[in-house]
Amino acid sequence: MSSDLLTTSLSILFQGLLLTLALSAASIVGGTLIGLLAAVMRAFGPMGAATVARLYTELFRGTPVLITLMFIYFGVSYFGYAIDVFAAGVVGLSVYQGAYIAEVFRSGIESVSKGQWEVSQILGLSKAQTFFSVILPQTGRIVLPPLVGQYLSLIKDTSIVSMIGMSELMHGGQAIVDRVGKPVEIYGLVAVLYFIVCFPISRWVRRHDRRRSVLS
Amino acid sequence: MSETIRTATQDAGPKPIINLARVSKSFGATQVLREINLDVKAGEVLVLIGASGSGKSTVLRIMSGLETADAGEVWVNDVPLHDARRAREIRGHVGMVFQQFNLFPHKTALGNVTLALIKARKMSPADARKRAMDTLDRVGLADRAAHYPSQLSGGQQQRVAIARALAVEPGIMFFDEATSALDPELVGEVTEVMRGLARDGMTMVVVTHEMGFARKTADRVVFMDKGVIAEQGAPEHIFVNPQNERTRQFLHRVLDH
Repeated sequence: MSSDLLTTSLSILFQGLLLTLALSAASIVGGTLIGLLAAVMRAFGPMGAATVARLYTELFRGTPVLITLMFIYFGVSYFGYAIDVFAAGVVGLSVYQGAYIAEVFRSGIESVSKGQWEVSQILGLSKAQTFFSVILPQTGRIVLPPLVGQYLSLIKDTSIVSMIGMSELMHGGQAIVDRVGKPVEIYGLVAVLYFIVCFPISRWVRRHDRRRSVLS
Repeated sequence: MSETIRTATQDAGPKPIINLARVSKSFGATQVLREINLDVKAGEVLVLIGASGSGKSTVLRIMSGLETADAGEVWVNDVPLHDARRAREIRGHVGMVFQQFNLFPHKTALGNVTLALIKARKMSPADARKRAMDTLDRVGLADRAAHYPSQLSGGQQQRVAIARALAVEPGIMFFDEATSALDPELVGEVTEVMRGLARDGMTMVVVTHEMGFARKTADRVVFMDKGVIAEQGAPEHIFVNPQNERTRQFLHRVLDH
């Protein structure tokens, strides 16, 4: 590989990595908000809202993320609107991962004893105050390890967005392989880059988890 | 005209702070309360005793607004708890201490007490902190303010729970088997705090298995059996000379142990 080609290739990978990080960050925020909303609807909402939330989680847990992305990207243009591939990726990943994140939050909310709600009610806290000041902080401790696990899976799932043509890290790798070959080296390097992003996060949770078990 | 009203009020005598009239409650097919009538006067210490399943905890939960009666009227602190639209007015005006403490595990003792003051009462953090320290001091735990519940003994946790309830300055305090989850040697420090409250004139409704507390501190003891009030009266009446056969059997069982 000439040094020129190497520079171009590294630059493509670097641009791709940045886009992967941006896509991940936006989808983590979106997925968490959707997941939290669905969990709250399912746990405390009226019958209709709870059913909608349940259908939502079951639907997206039962279909591949690629189908979700395709539906959003091509579906929107089918109805005559244009959607930019980054936006389609964020919406697709958020909606898809939100279904899993909802289940993580739901199990966390349900693990907090009913007595916490009762004492808060008697003390005069509103339902919303109880949820945000009493229940949610407690679910945080239970929910954090599986939640971060879901985030890691989301970061890796961003590679699938290359299938609808977004030039993130995976797509960058493919583009280079198409031009210069050397798939083992290039995809190996791409894998290392994903690993460099995910591993510290995974390590941090494990350390955090261990410290917590020492405390309690 | 205003004079007539005043006379009418005087004729009625002091209004009870709690009034249950023909209150019934079922959970599924099980009827746990059958047309209960019960008044509690301001400043009175009422102790509910009875076997488990007799309905005493349900009475307490209805009085505190945690459960709604199926039938009958429930007035607490001038709030009609049987009226779904107004029942929530009771929140923040009564205190309840639970068997399982229900402290907020993610907050320190101080944080447990200040939370409702800041969020529900809208007190400034500084004022809330001062009030919380005063209440923690009242239960003898000012020096444990920075401790988390997991760092406190069961008796200390329950005293923090009492301080948390007292800090909102409730008109009535409910105790639902407040000492049942405690190791025997820790019961005394909690009943001591409860006695202090009774001496200070707090209106209290207490569900307990501590017959010593009932005998020494209650103004009136109510014995419940199968969803009805089987017998009630002054402690010396209930414990020395019970009239009802089931009261006698119950006391024989619990005092024998």
